[in-house]
Amino acid sequence: MMKLNKIKNVNSIYTALIFIFLYMPIAVLILFSFNSSSSTNTFEGFSLRWYRELFNDAATMEALKNTLILAVLSAIISTVIGTLAAYGINKMKNKALKNGTMSVTNIPMMNPEIVTGISMMLLFVFVGSIVNSKTILGFGTVLIAHITFNLPYVILSVMPKFKQMDRHLPEAALDLGCTPMQSFLKVELPQIMPGIISGLIMAFTLSLDDFVISYFTIGSGFETLPIRIYSMTKKRVTPDMYALSALIFVSILILLIVSNVSSSDNKEKKVLTQKQKKTVKIVLASTFGAIALLTAGLFISTSMTEVVTVNVYNWGEYISDGSEGEDGEPITDVNAEFEKYYSKILSEKYDKKIKVKVNYTTFASNEDLYAKLKGGAGGYDVIVPSDYMIERLIKEDLIQPISSRDEILTAIPDYNNLKDQFKTPFYDNGEDVYSVMYTYGVIGIVYNTDYVDEADVGGWDLLWNEKYSGKILQFNNARDAFGTAMYKLGINVNSPSVQDWENALNVLKEQKPVVQSYVMDEVYNKMESGEAWIAAYYAGDALSMIYNAEKHGVNLDFYYPTDASGNPITNVFADAMCIPADVSKEQKEHAQAYINFMLLVDEEYGSPAIANAEYIYYASPNKLVVESDDYLASLDGDEEIIYDPVIDDNITELFNTYAYRNLSNEDLATLNKNWESLKVDSSNFNVSIYVISIIIALAIIAFIVFKYVQKRYRRRLYWNNPVTSKQTFDFTSTMTKISIPPELRAGPKEDKK
Amino acid sequence: MNQKKIIELKGVAKSFDGEIILDNIDLNVYEKEFITLLGPSGCGKTTTLRIIAGFVTPDSGEVMFDGEMINDLPPYKRSVNTVFQKYALFPHLNVYENIAFALRLKKISEEEIYERVEEMLTMVNLRGFEKRDVNLLSGGQQQRVAIARALVNKPRVLLLDEPLGALDLKLRKDMQNELKNIQRKTGITFIYVTHDQEEALSMSDTVVVMANGKIQQIGTPTDIYNEPENAFVADFIGESNIIDGIMLDDYKVRFSGQEFECLDKGFEKNEPVDVVIRPEDVDVVAPEKGMLCGIVDSVTFKGVHYEIIVTINNFKWMIQSTDYVAPSQKIGLYIEPDAIHIMKKSEFSGMFGDYSSFSDEHDHLSDIIEEETETE
Repeated sequence: MMKLNKIKNVNSIYTALIFIFLYMPIAVLILFSFNSSSSTNTFEGFSLRWYRELFNDAATMEALKNTLILAVLSAIISTVIGTLAAYGINKMKNKALKNGTMSVTNIPMMNPEIVTGISMMLLFVFVGSIVNSKTILGFGTVLIAHITFNLPYVILSVMPKFKQMDRHLPEAALDLGCTPMQSFLKVELPQIMPGIISGLIMAFTLSLDDFVISYFTIGSGFETLPIRIYSMTKKRVTPDMYALSALIFVSILILLIVSNVSSSDNKEKKVLTQKQKKTVKIVLASTFGAIALLTAGLFISTSMTEVVTVNVYNWGEYISDGSEGEDGEPITDVNAEFEKYYSKILSEKYDKKIKVKVNYTTFASNEDLYAKLKGGAGGYDVIVPSDYMIERLIKEDLIQPISSRDEILTAIPDYNNLKDQFKTPFYDNGEDVYSVMYTYGVIGIVYNTDYVDEADVGGWDLLWNEKYSGKILQFNNARDAFGTAMYKLGINVNSPSVQDWENALNVLKEQKPVVQSYVMDEVYNKMESGEAWIAAYYAGDALSMIYNAEKHGVNLDFYYPTDASGNPITNVFADAMCIPADVSKEQKEHAQAYINFMLLVDEEYGSPAIANAEYIYYASPNKLVVESDDYLASLDGDEEIIYDPVIDDNITELFNTYAYRNLSNEDLATLNKNWESLKVDSSNFNVSIYVISIIIALAIIAFIVFKYVQKRYRRRLYWNNPVTSKQTFDFTSTMTKISIPPELRAGPKEDKK
Repeated sequence: MNQKKIIELKGVAKSFDGEIILDNIDLNVYEKEFITLLGPSGCGKTTTLRIIAGFVTPDSGEVMFDGEMINDLPPYKRSVNTVFQKYALFPHLNVYENIAFALRLKKISEEEIYERVEEMLTMVNLRGFEKRDVNLLSGGQQQRVAIARALVNKPRVLLLDEPLGALDLKLRKDMQNELKNIQRKTGITFIYVTHDQEEALSMSDTVVVMANGKIQQIGTPTDIYNEPENAFVADFIGESNIIDGIMLDDYKVRFSGQEFECLDKGFEKNEPVDVVIRPEDVDVVAPEKGMLCGIVDSVTFKGVHYEIIVTINNFKWMIQSTDYVAPSQKIGLYIEPDAIHIMKKSEFSGMFGDYSSFSDEHDHLSDIIEEETETE
């Protein structure tokens, strides 16, 4: 008994461990969704703040709406098609054909999503080029893609129900007077219903969280939730996403429980009373009904009146979006303000009610944006690439001039709000104006004033200072990490010389022992909590780090590395609004209006330029912004950090000398190769992983060989016997062979004696 | 038979994947008749039934219903209903709804549906079971629901595909009686498919013995038993000793090296024939009194009688007798003229009727295999 109890204990502990392992992350997520602060490492009190913010975040709610519409429609359509397909496959008489069809429908499930995604994008763009539409990617294409990848799952869950069904049932129905159609509806459908429902739910959840396939087949002006969350990586993922994820997890949990109950076997069904079955049915029906109604409502409400649509493609978290500010009041929703503003202008101009809709979608990197434009996924009216990418886009004719430089004030009336030095950056200083600067910034070094000696501050050397070994953070991104080394060495960051990159690599390798880790987003937590003391990062983000750290009692400061004579040596970058080359003349007018609106400082429309600057923390090139007292007040005396006069006054020269330029393919290859060798080099991890893999592989092979030999050994006695089916079992001969020892035979008798 | 023909099959043939299942079947089914299609698995009896039901279309030949050809009429337009082997009740409906299913399709008023369903439930002794889940009923109860569901439609013809196959022996006997009663009461034509010869003999007005896709014999149960047309029928219906013989003249046959008197005539002189003698028609007598003599191989007690295997002229006879004889004993056999039945030679001659390899175990095994192939 004792032993049994012990085993039971071990079992339950093991089970508990597995559950903890599986559900710990989600538990933490749900916990932090109720955190009153945005910290990711300390729970500062219970609050529903992030849930409130979530519902105030127009863009996220829009993405949620899109995701729901997409999931409901694709689930319903794929369930209908999939059920009919399963019906057809089940009716096939030719077994080989049937199996073949099943395997073919199963392949898309094994196929990596990325292959499905890319191939569908190619197909859509190809079809688009045939029908001469540059904007074929959009809601329709994602919907088709989702239906396509959902289909096999629906077939897979419906098929077994057809197989389980008594094959005489349809015949019985026909026999009793049903037409084949009636037979399907009245008899077969109820039998396969559990399969259909679990297929529907599976399709719904799959579509809900699909990222990869959506990403490739989605066009401008339509963004699903997973894509929105992913593109938040330029800034931080905000805690309202925890709230959203928690809500999604809970709803999917409920769906799963309901689907499990509804698809359970007959055996289990007996446990449920008729009443319980009814409740389950009602819950299911009302859930889907509610979702469908909601979807339909949203659909209808957006499809009336004349609508002008402006499609904007920007970085994630890169616009003031109407969420809750520090003081609890909602901040300006710039896109909503523009819709109001531009609707008024257009309505007055054409003397009829015209609605304006901003379709705001987001990307995570310049390379993503480039891939989209180059791949022919058109349909964006305004995009916000960075400096070097603009240079490239102009060269490849992927963007068009906003206007000629002489007439820029006709196109963008408030163009002069920009400070003069930001009107002709290195990437756009020709006769035409291709871009209007949105933000700019500088890379500098954030450091902890409590631990870092002021005497060590000043240059790039701080990142290499052995005194702070284990407390230094380096960029986890090739270009920026190599940038720090090259600025330190005084090498041109756009050098075509392989030797220069080698030198930078060697310096980075030297730095490696003192580096705590290579990070991007984690820099916030590490610096704000005091876990690390020194990090190179972007000025705007440094500012928000300093504010947050203050709340934890951690004191951070920031500086631009300079040379001995005090001249800054660091990267300067800019993001600017552009208009893609495929935008029509008519749409271009709307795009110009949107770009101009971003320069406005007008109380009536929530001063979009200021609202954005306050939200993004990066420096604004807009002089009205910098002169605004409200804005300066919001910076709390730290304006020096992002608006250092030394930087601002020499911006043109800094751009020309230190900005990253578009690297040639060979240089990019060199950079990537060096980066890999830095990350991989001299780490034991790498060797040990090979050793462990080999040991595991050998163990598996040894086990298989052992099993094989054992099987052979066991079979050796009978395996080669000739087949003699006609041999009759000779009972008597067997009897005689089993000789019973005399003492045994006599056994009972002896007892009697 | 002076009754009206209700179903007529004329030269019906069917093959699947090149294998001939039905080979030119001609069959008449009369009104109010209980007709049984009897045969081993693969003989085409179920296919014949499915052709009548409309689930299978014949390759050639005509299916007539009330004198009209119905070859291309879909099942749901035929006035026949089927009781399926595994009942095929609708699992998502309760007993009442299962029976009401066909009536609902006809848009009959709820009151009339209620009346007719109750009438059926009374007939099959299932009153009070209306609300039951069909999945929770016993096999016999499910069977009754299936019969009620098929009969509620008041079909002209009811098709039953081995309906009792899944029931245990006792229940089977009860259901046989009940089915026969229902048929008498309703006056509906029953076409019954089975491989159980006892079931066929005890229930039917007419038995149709089928083998290899052909009808071997049609007749009343007594005709079939007493006057089998060929070796197959003789062996399939009951036990038989089938011996090669030569018809010397009318009423005179020679087999086992002896001449016997018989009641058959109309054969050519010296025509080789198959001689059938039922085991219970042979009397065991003292060796000197016997027409034939032999040594007893084995004796098995069967309850009502002993089953005795005797070798005579290298042929193993089976004899059923209420008197015990010891193995290895020499006994004589006495056969009355009316116990001898003469058949023309057929494709089945020489395949059956010798008990040299006979054993109960074999019989039992082949039954199981048969059922397995049938349900596949």
